Amino acid sequence: MGEAPQYVAARVQQALAEDERTTELGIRVDVRGEQLFLRGQVSCEERRTLIADVAEEAAPGLAIRNELTVSDVRVPEGEEKL
Amino acid sequence: MTGLRVAAVGDVHLGEDMRGRYREHLAGIEERADVLLLAGDLTRHGTLEEGRVVADEFRDLPIPVVAVLGNHDYHSDKPAEIAALLRDAGIMVLHDDSVVLDIDGVRLGVVGGKGFGGGFAGKCASEFGEPEIKAFVNHTKRIADRWRRALKELDVDRRIVLSHYSPVNDTLEGEPLEIYPFLGSYLLAEAVDAEGADLIIHGHAHKGTEKGMTSGGIRVRNVALPVLNRAYAVYCRDGDGESC
Repeated sequence: MGEAPQYVAARVQQALAEDERTTELGIRVDVRGEQLFLRGQVSCEERRTLIADVAEEAAPGLAIRNELTVSDVRVPEGEEKL
Repeated sequence: MTGLRVAAVGDVHLGEDMRGRYREHLAGIEERADVLLLAGDLTRHGTLEEGRVVADEFRDLPIPVVAVLGNHDYHSDKPAEIAALLRDAGIMVLHDDSVVLDIDGVRLGVVGGKGFGGGFAGKCASEFGEPEIKAFVNHTKRIADRWRRALKELDVDRRIVLSHYSPVNDTLEGEPLEIYPFLGSYLLAEAVDAEGADLIIHGHAHKGTEKGMTSGGIRVRNVALPVLNRAYAVYCRDGDGESC
């Protein structure tokens, strides 16, 4: 019997958190059949690619669906009066 | 007393690949705010190289900058060295203590530090059982005690608490419930409610919500960059009879 997809996803999530190249804690990882989905926000395009690379190393053989988005730091606007 | 404008952001997670990119958003900050608070997780994994990027991004700003470190800034076991790099760049770094700033005659006291986890009232860990669990909870208790003492000793016009971990669960809404105990502790809010403050700023919860409050009615703001989705938030506290 193959490894349950939940364990594969957990291993990838742990790799993304602990690998010195990524140290990303907030990435959602889901495995569906032969596909591995990555979702969440990252700060730049380089990190988006790097996270997919680390995920692929942790779960070889799965097709990586990189759905991470690059968050744009916007200019501050307005203020809240307390 | 005049109004006070507080800019705040956390979880900027800067690394070499972000050098210079954050700084460009800080231009003109003195037009919008009187002080900038950084709510921890300034680096990705707490290396000195990343610490230098943070120091360079926030050095020599025209307004005072006060920071606390976050769990990521501890990852390489060099928090003291990172704090020293930031201090060398003119950034004040709190470690469960306080700083008093004079802002156009308003004495602003900022108390804080990293904070820690444990969970929220009724759904939290306690100092019971294995030494590892006791140490975890005791770490938060000691921090809360130090904040309480620091607040008690402050003789200022305005008091702000700056933390990385959250003191309330309001601002965690959006995060999975299962990880709440790793995102903050009510012990932090309890300490602040006991002594009073005008505002609590924290980060850490990237998927959380910006606005919340303590049981005592103190406003809490989660300024994690992914929550704000802008370079920093500005909170304005009216002076007596004067709007800001």
